[in-house]
Amino acid sequence: MGRAKEKFEAAGANLVLIGQLTPRHAAHFRRRQNVDVPVLADNDRASYKAAGAKIATFNELLGPKVTAKGILTSARTGQRQGRTLGHPAQLGGAMVIAPGGEVVWSHMAQDAGDNATAEQILAAIPSAARA
Amino acid sequence: MLGTASHRQETHPPQRADALADLVFPDQDGNEVRLGDLWAERPAALVWLRHYG
Repeated sequence: MGRAKEKFEAAGANLVLIGQLTPRHAAHFRRRQNVDVPVLADNDRASYKAAGAKIATFNELLGPKVTAKGILTSARTGQRQGRTLGHPAQLGGAMVIAPGGEVVWSHMAQDAGDNATAEQILAAIPSAARA
Repeated sequence: MLGTASHRQETHPPQRADALADLVFPDQDGNEVRLGDLWAERPAALVWLRHYG
């Protein structure tokens, strides 16, 4: 997702990331992860609640399947998870919203290793443009 | 432990983003962004990060 801005611009969509805590944390994340899209700081996690994201159980956070998937992802991408900041069990997700406010696609994480790819999100943009 | 849920929760994404539209958050530079403005004129993709790690 880090260098996805151009792809979403080309598709005619705005892309923003939403994280927890403060703008300082968001700025640090952008630098550390080489992210080129805006990162909003939702300190109270109000948008997580409004988006229907969930809090993981221990097994959904650190169970063997989730841990194995994380190891494979790290091996594939070369990225390593750093220190967890914010609510550690808060899961994320993704949503594509059409002009007018219809949610045309969403993927809210079922566990800590369940993340939509940039390609999956991009594939939903045309239907949002038509809605 | 770690603020985890004691029972498995369900996700419940909305069909419309009305409850998100009027939320305002600062970006990495401290500029306030109203979420609804992101999809006022063209589609918007919002990605919620699990954490900053």
